[in-house]
Amino acid sequence: MKTKLLLLIAGILLTSCVAVKSYQRVNLNDPDMKLSPNKSNKFVMTFQVYREGTAGANGGKSGGGCGCN
Amino acid sequence: MKKMKKRSLIYLLIWTPFLMLAQQQSKNMFKKKVLQSTQINLLSSIYTQSGKNAAVTGGIGNESLQDAATNIDVSIPVNADDVLTIDGTVSAYTSASSGNLNPFTGASRSEDNKTGASQGGGNDDEGDDEGDDDRPSGTNQSPVTTNGPWGYSSAPSRQDVWLNGVFSYSHTSDDRNKIISGKLSIANEFDYFSFGTGFNFTHLFNNKNTEFGWGGMVYFDKWRPQYPTEIKMFILNNGNLKGGFFNGVNIYNQSGYAINKSGSNLWQPAHPNFITKKGRNTYTLSLSFSQILSKNAQFSVFSDITYQHGQLGNPMQRVYFADKPNYYIGNPADIPNYTNPKNTSVFQLADDFERFPVSRLKIPIGLRFHYFINEKLVLRTYYRYYFDDWGMMSNTFNVELPIKLNDRFTIYPNYRFYNQTASKYFAPYEKHLSTEKYYTSDYDLSAYNANQFGFGIKYHDIFTKSHIFNFGIKNVSLNYNYYQRSSGFKAHIVSVGLQLVLDK
Repeated sequence: MKTKLLLLIAGILLTSCVAVKSYQRVNLNDPDMKLSPNKSNKFVMTFQVYREGTAGANGGKSGGGCGCN
Repeated sequence: MKKMKKRSLIYLLIWTPFLMLAQQQSKNMFKKKVLQSTQINLLSSIYTQSGKNAAVTGGIGNESLQDAATNIDVSIPVNADDVLTIDGTVSAYTSASSGNLNPFTGASRSEDNKTGASQGGGNDDEGDDEGDDDRPSGTNQSPVTTNGPWGYSSAPSRQDVWLNGVFSYSHTSDDRNKIISGKLSIANEFDYFSFGTGFNFTHLFNNKNTEFGWGGMVYFDKWRPQYPTEIKMFILNNGNLKGGFFNGVNIYNQSGYAINKSGSNLWQPAHPNFITKKGRNTYTLSLSFSQILSKNAQFSVFSDITYQHGQLGNPMQRVYFADKPNYYIGNPADIPNYTNPKNTSVFQLADDFERFPVSRLKIPIGLRFHYFINEKLVLRTYYRYYFDDWGMMSNTFNVELPIKLNDRFTIYPNYRFYNQTASKYFAPYEKHLSTEKYYTSDYDLSAYNANQFGFGIKYHDIFTKSHIFNFGIKNVSLNYNYYQRSSGFKAHIVSVGLQLVLDK
């Protein structure tokens, strides 16, 4: 059921894609629209890596580089 | 007529190379620099935490910790296509928990010798009759004192500095559709050294509406193992409880009686050996896919599949077994209070430190969806599902709402929810059995929910009117986050950021 739901969401998202031309990307180019964590949250993500048992897929560490989880 | 045709041909032949060069120059003129000028990001933070499940003291005890960290990253445009980035972090912490690596007065990490904390004084049990118990508590005063797992130790391990340097170089193709980068990372702290290297490749297509990235990162890390003092001294003394660190030091049983060190029921760690294989390698394969959905929406999905191999446990972290008798050093009157903060003077000797399998496979899958609601409001959402072969699963959900108050100030309220299941190797204090092969009482690997509330404010100045020397101030940020687990663990973090751009 979960898999079907994820595939449905993916399908809806992908079918709604349009090719947005570069001069139409004013809103997408807003710094807050960037698809990455805010740099100001770097140390917040660091303490999460140290204090939580899971890591990765968030632009931060995934286990190496420290004696963390 | 013929003459004119001939002249035209000659003119065409003379000017053609210049026309071609102009074309080439035109192509070069329109290639925008990847990075216009040198940028510097400065970030400093103060972090503090509190809790009652310290891993160094076997799952109970003071988790108080304070950390001050600073990061600087400098991005330098080498040419129109290439960028060099240098990133450095210094993080200094003080921790009640890691101080309790040696919770006994007198002995210290730097001493690392057999004389330890003993002051002599004739409290040795040698020559007494064999038997389980020797003297009732209070008749011999041990020269060693301790503040217990709830107090603060003065051991050097209570504080340390973590240093990290990352160097990366990226190259972008002329059409700006391909980016390749390489990275080197070095980190060091008192019990750990890390060296890492990696690369990343990003390809944009579909008129830059779609982006696919993949990369790899490898860390070749090494422990400098630090052990609980009682275990280290037991090994160094070849198991002799009458000499070295233990000379003249009473060891009490659960009833508060000093044990006969010549007897049969003695304290002994389960595996009295130092770690010989100290390497810890991490291999990560990163995949990402991003897609513009409309003029106001875009999303990305990504994963960092990670395989770790080597010494994955932290030998600082004690474990106590339910099926083994308990032994203590310090004031036996506090033994009945051991598991609560009323205990300020006795410490339980560890049965072992945490042990894990030599490998771990982690698979996180993340999803970001950002939507530009209007000129004042952006919606940023993030979800991650994680699972691994240690039995852990987690869900992370984060939502952030940047609200533009005006053209200079933006506020960032945000909320994060996190939950995880326990590792199959986790059990609380005094719940593991000595027959188990792998075990930990580190509550970072237990089952819990966590909520995090945050607020930030950022000042932007795209014209960089304010300056520090030759650098224009592009933005200044201030963030606060509060984190709380269902186990009672709490943390606060305040960060201040500054972005500077070198004047042209």
